[in-house]
Amino acid sequence: MKLSRYLNVYGTQIKNNFVREAVYRTNFLTAVTVDAIWIAIEFSLFSVLYANTTTLVGWTQNQIYFFLGVFFSSDALFTILFQRNFWNFSDLVNRGELDILLTKPIHPLFLALSRSINMTAIFNLFLGLGIAFKYAPAAGFPGGIHWLKLPFWLGFGLLSALLIRFFFSVWIFWTERSWAISRMYYQFFALATKPDTIYPKAIRYLILTVLPFALIGSIPARALLHGLSSYEYFLLFLVLSLLFLINTVLWRKGLRRYQSASS
Amino acid sequence: MKHHQKIPHPRLQWRLAALKNGLQDATAYRIEFLFEIFGSAFVPAAVQWVLWYALFKIGGATRIGGMTYLEMIHYTFATLLFSQVRGGDHDFELGDMIRTGQLSNYLLRPVGVVEFIYIRGVAPRLLIAGICLLLGATVGLWFGLSPSRMVGAMSLALVGNIIHYQIGATLATTAFLWEESYSLLMVKNMVVSFLSGELIPLNLFPHSFQWIWKSFPFYLYVYGPAEYALGHWSHEEFIRQLGFSFLWILGAWLAIRASWGLGLKRYLSLGG
Repeated sequence: MKLSRYLNVYGTQIKNNFVREAVYRTNFLTAVTVDAIWIAIEFSLFSVLYANTTTLVGWTQNQIYFFLGVFFSSDALFTILFQRNFWNFSDLVNRGELDILLTKPIHPLFLALSRSINMTAIFNLFLGLGIAFKYAPAAGFPGGIHWLKLPFWLGFGLLSALLIRFFFSVWIFWTERSWAISRMYYQFFALATKPDTIYPKAIRYLILTVLPFALIGSIPARALLHGLSSYEYFLLFLVLSLLFLINTVLWRKGLRRYQSASS
Repeated sequence: MKHHQKIPHPRLQWRLAALKNGLQDATAYRIEFLFEIFGSAFVPAAVQWVLWYALFKIGGATRIGGMTYLEMIHYTFATLLFSQVRGGDHDFELGDMIRTGQLSNYLLRPVGVVEFIYIRGVAPRLLIAGICLLLGATVGLWFGLSPSRMVGAMSLALVGNIIHYQIGATLATTAFLWEESYSLLMVKNMVVSFLSGELIPLNLFPHSFQWIWKSFPFYLYVYGPAEYALGHWSHEEFIRQLGFSFLWILGAWLAIRASWGLGLKRYLSLGG
């Protein structure tokens, strides 16, 4: 019953967002262009590198393209569902808009993070999936029934991105302005656009544990191509659980600090 | 006996005031200013270093595009300095002003809006350029870089900063047509990040694709200054490229005149 209430609310949010996107059609087209250029640049970067070498720490060009396909798809899912909500997250706290959400009979975080849905990124999702499908055979992906693992790993990447982004956003309860920390998120995000195995040990350890950006695209791509050991599965579970726990503690402490500026 | 205080010429006065205002605005939140510098400087440099580490140290390559690991590190260090100067998002401000109608307030003033926004926006870049020059000239000695070349390279980077803004100011006028120029400016910035050479040295491009980066002025922002500072460009080549950059400035200036002239005819001044 509680779940149906959440689904109902989410259904209404989707409907509202569809109406908004339909009104701003030019915005839709320009946003799609920006995304396509970003993907083209990431592709070009690796194309130039592979014009000078045959492998990059064991990754062939086709495997890198497959990784990019998985990464773009996973990132597109995050962009569709959550990105705009995180842009507005600091306003909720700074302007006291969180007050209204706190009074609703539904979890305030659910409302805060589900209000805006970015339909334009659906194009990105399909583009990413298209790239992954195109390069999968040449990258050594077994295909067939193994494609069923793709939704799981994309969901895993989405969950990781959500937890990391929240970790970077929740500090708004303690800081005056959050854009510098948000900007840091996007700077560190650059580390997610490359496979984790190319990094030196210290950075690799960092992006697999403390700031687990590698879980967004690199780990899903590696798991799909080569599989993971049970120990690695356990570590992934541990990292995400700890991040969830830290986020929960920070959110609760933040709420206690919240001064309700609009009241 | 009367003492006359020297007052700068009005034309210089407003420019100095705009510069001061821009600097105060950028440094009002010092922690954020430092965060921004750290984020935009060290993370891209770290990503670049990681690529060279992967190719040379883990992959065992000895030369990539004719460059050794050490040469790549030197290049990364140089790009770290010059990429700080090339940026500035004040062209976005122009687009926003057109969209929201705030432009009207500026049109009433006896100063050129495009120049005013540039001067205000370039102030923190000048501060950063000074710091980077000092850093490049001192730390560069350790790498065997010539301080005089560093001064020349930084000058080219600053000229690049002007071209960057001029192109942005021209693109911002699309806001007169479509009400927003944000996406176009974002695309420009993304293309610049790749074709300016701040991600990888542009000589790594395959021969048949070199024309791509040579067709735009973006290589003058980071790659050009880095090449000169590292001694890969002769003084003659530097002068030639500086000449090209002035031609770009002239071309972009004409583009600004034309696009703003046309745009202002369409401007409805809503909400101003």
